Amino acid sequence: MDGVSDLLEFREVSLRFGGVQALSHVSFTVANDELLAVIGPNGAGKTSIFNCLNGVYRPQQGSIRLEGTELIGRRPAAIAALGVARTFQNLALFTNLDVVDNLMLGRHHLMRTGFVSGALWWGRAKSEEVSHRRRCEEIIDLLELQPYRHARVGTLPYGIKKRIELARALCMDPKLLLLDEPVAGMNLEETEDTARYILEVRERLGISVILVEHDMRMVMDIADRVVVLDFGLVIATGAPAEVQSDPAVIAAYLGTPAEAVAGTGEHRAAAGGGAKAAAAASWWADR
Amino acid sequence: MITTAPGPVASGEQGDDPAPSTLPGLLLAHVRARPAAVALRKKNLGRWREYSWEEYGTRSARTGLGLLELGVQAGDRVAIHSENRPSWLFADLGIQGIGAVTVGIYPTSPATEVEYLLSHSGSVVLFAEDEEQLDKALSVRGRLADLRTIVVIDPRGVKQLDDPMIMTLAELEGLGERRQLEDYAERVAALDPSSMAIIVYTSGTTGPPKGAMLSHANLLSAGSSLRQAFGTRPDDEVLSYLPLCHVAERLGSTVNALAAGYVVNFGEGGESFPNDLYEVQPTVFLGVPRVWEKMMASIQIRMADASRLKRLTYRFSLALGRGLARRRMAGRLGLRGRIGAAVGSVLVFRPLRDKLGLGRVRVAISGAAPVAPQVLEFLWALGVPVREGYGQTEGSALATFTPLHDVRIGKVGTAEPGVELRIAPDGEILVRSPGVFLGYFRDPEATAQAIDDQGWLSTGDVGELDDAGFLTITDRKKDIIITSGGKNISPSEIENRLKVSPYVREAVIVGDGRKYLTALVGIEADTVGDWATRRNLSFTTYRDLSAKPEVTELIGVWVEEVNRDLAQVETVKRFTLLPKELGHEEGELTATQKVKRAAIAREFSDLIEAMYR
Repeated sequence: MDGVSDLLEFREVSLRFGGVQALSHVSFTVANDELLAVIGPNGAGKTSIFNCLNGVYRPQQGSIRLEGTELIGRRPAAIAALGVARTFQNLALFTNLDVVDNLMLGRHHLMRTGFVSGALWWGRAKSEEVSHRRRCEEIIDLLELQPYRHARVGTLPYGIKKRIELARALCMDPKLLLLDEPVAGMNLEETEDTARYILEVRERLGISVILVEHDMRMVMDIADRVVVLDFGLVIATGAPAEVQSDPAVIAAYLGTPAEAVAGTGEHRAAAGGGAKAAAAASWWADR
Repeated sequence: MITTAPGPVASGEQGDDPAPSTLPGLLLAHVRARPAAVALRKKNLGRWREYSWEEYGTRSARTGLGLLELGVQAGDRVAIHSENRPSWLFADLGIQGIGAVTVGIYPTSPATEVEYLLSHSGSVVLFAEDEEQLDKALSVRGRLADLRTIVVIDPRGVKQLDDPMIMTLAELEGLGERRQLEDYAERVAALDPSSMAIIVYTSGTTGPPKGAMLSHANLLSAGSSLRQAFGTRPDDEVLSYLPLCHVAERLGSTVNALAAGYVVNFGEGGESFPNDLYEVQPTVFLGVPRVWEKMMASIQIRMADASRLKRLTYRFSLALGRGLARRRMAGRLGLRGRIGAAVGSVLVFRPLRDKLGLGRVRVAISGAAPVAPQVLEFLWALGVPVREGYGQTEGSALATFTPLHDVRIGKVGTAEPGVELRIAPDGEILVRSPGVFLGYFRDPEATAQAIDDQGWLSTGDVGELDDAGFLTITDRKKDIIITSGGKNISPSEIENRLKVSPYVREAVIVGDGRKYLTALVGIEADTVGDWATRRNLSFTTYRDLSAKPEVTELIGVWVEEVNRDLAQVETVKRFTLLPKELGHEEGELTATQKVKRAAIAREFSDLIEAMYR
């Protein structure tokens, strides 16, 4: 991996919680405009990758560089300001605010005016709000949220809330978008819609996306490359078709004896693999 | 521009004949008379942007002149495949102004239909709204020998802009700037009113669509008739929301709009339609039955959620309103009626009408399909004076309208100015008017079947005309069901009664050549979903919801209720809930949401047969 034209470089990142090895020498890169999927069974370390990326966790080893800038050691707000936005596995919206206000909050870190002029809505505060509101409207247009603009978020259906969360992340004008299980709990139709929106977003806005997802069909449909994690270790990286036919991946997910996957044995043992392997098998069969 | 320097031909024409005889002519007359007045509004990124008459005229002219630069000739067909937006009108009037012919394509049309329409019409240029519509055209362009250029209205996300066949609307208008605007005005003045202006492909519930050719004169006669019938004026406002390629919206957004000079608003469309309507509060509103049914359902559902006091007030006012409606329909409200109306209005009706977006409605029309009497009564009770209109594409939609002060429920009114009506011996309704079309494009056989040598148009509908000149529509001639017992039954009447329930979206009556009638019923996902949630009935998809025995029971109770008002042979003996929502792209509905019976009968033949076992 040359790393020169890549937007993000994750190199040899290891994260431990006491005796639990959450991530172990994880390395991958994300190119500009690339949609990279991170898959793996529950507890494989997918969300930990996100939490390292946006500064919630601090890995003990390794380096995470966004356009050459080291992210490890920076605070979440600083990383967001560098252009990393995320959505959450569980919704994290302000349910008593309307859609526009939730989106405007996504632009908060870009606002420059102070408390007084903001409160008086005077001078630069006014023109700034108008321009930010315009950007929000562009995102509303892109994600077809027009019918809900002034609806209280708490009253809207789940599928729409997920879309609003995506919209808020986009309102941050990110370079890199982290999507944590965007279709969890959705029916087939909502899942297809979401996949369409994600592709549309990437195409129109030209941003890179890291997607953590359990829905295999969606991952295989839309990802450019897939990173497969198992117990904190990258066991395969490649195009969806390659990964699908990779013996190590099949072995990991179908719960074949650990020795089939060279080198992963000790991590498997560390986190108690039996039940996990069973869950993984049914998860893979969901396809 | 056009206003400051009218060309010699244009000014000469003005002197000889002050009344323009084409839609582009009407447009230029408005540009000259009041260039700065608002002609169009469009909601863009959450804000309403206004277009003046001058901008409307200039952009239409530039579009037309750009087409001339591309080599488009008078008589050539140019297609538009887009949602409603100002550019639709710019293209339409630009095309007509240079003597070419506009062919509208429904935004929901799938690629196969796009191919059929483009190839049948022999369109040389296509206006494609965006990436989505462009992709449809590109997937079939190899089989379209006549198509030379595709003009993309909104190029965001389009990657093929370097394709020699593709250009943007902005580039086309740029091409148009090579010519003088007067060039357009001269061509408009030289148009032959009897020549073809547009082709409207009729949705056709059976067989492929047919292209009805309408002349400039057809459109103008429809415009002046509507203006007389409704008294539309420059301060009126409409919301353009039905597909513009359908003749009904064409009348509202261009024909009547240019005749009366009122403002046409373009909202965000789709699911935002209720918001759009609320913000625009149009004074003239054309609704299709589906829209009225949804409004009624939304009020009923909202009222079910309201507090007891509100519910009581609502029920009291509705009873009052229904009483008043009868008097209002007969045109004699009287003093007591007026007082009653004022009370009801303050209590309930005004806020309800405002909420629906009908607070300012002066002229409300229902058309395109028959509407159930119960729905009409409900709307009148709210104080929305909905008048039914009847017409067909082939007659420029000119036929009958309910007079404002003599509304007879169940009848579609009397002949519009300039329209003659006759009932053929076999019961078919015949219409003759200046709106009767030129014929079907490239289909002399179908044309000969539609118009006789005296200019009478066969409507394909069966009906009756009473002594007072009121027309009653029984049904489509080919839809009439003859049961195995030999009884003639009009399915749409029963279907409409079923659709009165807020829980029923579609109903298709089956029974031709059978012993008894049965129905396929499509539930309304929103309202039934809401009903299920209240009962803690969990469900996932439409299919799952419609398969719930509780839902079948809910609809069953309603079917029984409807049966009570029907004659024995008309009762629905069995019914089945459809497992999916019907759609245009799947070929189950026409683009105007009418059910294609033949397609439904084929697709759900198992369900139908099961009801006769």
